[in-house]
Amino acid sequence: MLSLLGTLAKFAVIIVKNVRRNLLRTTFTSLGTMTLVLVVTLVWSVLSFIDDQTSEKANDLKVLITEKNKSPSRLPYAYVSSLKEGAARAPDDVRPVDYMTWVFYGGMLDPTKPSRENFIFLIGGEPEKIPTMMEELDQLGPADRARLDRAVQRMKEQRNACVIGPEQLKTMNKKVGERIKVSGLIFKGIDLEFEIIDTFPDAAKRYAQTSVMNIEYLLAALEEYKVTNKKPHPEGDAPVAFVVLRVKNRAELERLTAQIGDSPLYTAPAVRCESQGSAISSFLEAYKDIFWGMRWLLGPAVLFTLSLVIANAISISVRERRMEIALLKVLGFRPGHVMGLVLGEALLIGTLSGVFSAGGAYLLINKLAGGIPFPIAWFQRFFIPDQALWWGLAVGAGTAFVGCIFPALSARSVRVADVFSKIA
Amino acid sequence: MSDAEPIVRVVGVHKYFTRGAERVDVLQDLTVDVADGEFLALMGPSGSGKTTLLNLIAGLDTPSAGEVWVGSELISQMSETGLARWRTRSVGFIFQFYHLLPVLSAYENIELPLLLLPLSAADRKKQVMTALELVGLTDRMSHRPGQLSGGQQQRVGIARAIVTDPTLIVADEPTGDLDAKSADEILKLLDELQRGLQKTIIMVTHDPHAAERAQRTLHLEKGNLVEQTARKLERA
Repeated sequence: MLSLLGTLAKFAVIIVKNVRRNLLRTTFTSLGTMTLVLVVTLVWSVLSFIDDQTSEKANDLKVLITEKNKSPSRLPYAYVSSLKEGAARAPDDVRPVDYMTWVFYGGMLDPTKPSRENFIFLIGGEPEKIPTMMEELDQLGPADRARLDRAVQRMKEQRNACVIGPEQLKTMNKKVGERIKVSGLIFKGIDLEFEIIDTFPDAAKRYAQTSVMNIEYLLAALEEYKVTNKKPHPEGDAPVAFVVLRVKNRAELERLTAQIGDSPLYTAPAVRCESQGSAISSFLEAYKDIFWGMRWLLGPAVLFTLSLVIANAISISVRERRMEIALLKVLGFRPGHVMGLVLGEALLIGTLSGVFSAGGAYLLINKLAGGIPFPIAWFQRFFIPDQALWWGLAVGAGTAFVGCIFPALSARSVRVADVFSKIA
Repeated sequence: MSDAEPIVRVVGVHKYFTRGAERVDVLQDLTVDVADGEFLALMGPSGSGKTTLLNLIAGLDTPSAGEVWVGSELISQMSETGLARWRTRSVGFIFQFYHLLPVLSAYENIELPLLLLPLSAADRKKQVMTALELVGLTDRMSHRPGQLSGGQQQRVGIARAIVTDPTLIVADEPTGDLDAKSADEILKLLDELQRGLQKTIIMVTHDPHAAERAQRTLHLEKGNLVEQTARKLERA
């Protein structure tokens, strides 16, 4: 066993020395491989995120209640009290385990200067539901969670308190503790003054450009508008974008959907009830051609190109070393040994380049750059998932293997007598 | 031929190649015996078939007809993999242009054939060091081929040929790329190997001086054996 390991180590040494033989070529091949693995990693990161968002879970599902057949959805706030109970009427009806109401409030800090720096978009909801009903916030570490809980408590006590994502805060050139006055755009005439009480923790990367507020602050402002102007705000009757409910499993989801669908409470406007994955899929329908192209054209094209890059480098290497390959055969190396040495070279270059590329992308994009800016729908940035480290390994090794199959077979079939008879 | 039992028996061997529609007969009904421990030289003009014969005896090629025996093994009917296995243990090769791997040191080049044998690292090292001592290159073992002279590279080639302690050593123009002094040293070394280790050596050469080192010389012409010269050698 030890002698076998020792021999394999010697083979590995030969492979490494062969790879180092033409450093320039190896470097260019590695750089080409790394670039293409990076492209594949970025493409797959976006697709993986979208797949994750649109996949239907079996348990712990979120259900979106929106206005039926209308976009953007507008629901009366009066719907919320019954919807958060899942429109349950009988004692054995399904009730959601959690809920959150979503309203969107956007506006300008200085209405005379419409610019990106002046614009803010806030999600309004029940503050106490933010940690449990907004994606991934339930996965924060203890310190970040405690910080978020403190902010939530403050938002409950002080209706004009808001939490702003660190990047958004930077864009607006504001600091925690400052007050901002927002002139409403979605709700024209509803101008609100906020106190920035905190930012989202850095670990909550997807909220770097997201801001949240207490829904009651907006509802109170709409009520005040009605009193002052003696008529309701044009958007005041239906300020809610959607309600999110959480249910235990798919069976409960189906029962809940039936309960809400059969309820006479939601007729004007009618509501649509669907799982979060399904809702996101419907929303992303407009982007489906882009995703299809990324998945079935761009990804495979890059993989094919990657195989060609490696095939080209290894083919040249094998052609240059026909004499050496023949010599190895003379010395008793079997065709399998020769093939193994050639495959080893390609796999070494492909695997290392793939791992370095994916690992480097993971560190640079996730830790330094704060995600890939790729705004699609409400997703602002994408992050390289942990499994991308395996993608790098698999893509590098896989394409190296495919790319060097023909050169390796060519090396395997070198006929010793042919090579040496030309010399003699 | 000496009185010893033949280690190599080439029986009625025919070898032809095809070039397009043309058939080229390289060896024709050739029968040759080589005794165990004999130093045999093969001479002849270019295209006479001497390298082809050497390749057949060394298991690098198979005959179109006839049989090639080495010891008790009928190598002319072995598969490619079988021949490769057999070559590892039974044949050492010495080439005109040395054919050392440029990325490996002298030590690593000599060790190459041993990687195919079930030996421990310690045993491999012992055999490589023995071969290096025999060719007098222990002080150059870390050098790469490019850092060695032609004569030294050929010594490395010889060390690689003997490191597995093969039955047979075949040498194709081993002095063809060397100056007279280096060539003489290499021939002397082969001579010592043959006498000291009782190795059977078959050497292809164009050089009559090199052939004089051999106990017997076979002259080939157009694939036929045309002359055989045996000599009693004065050993230094």
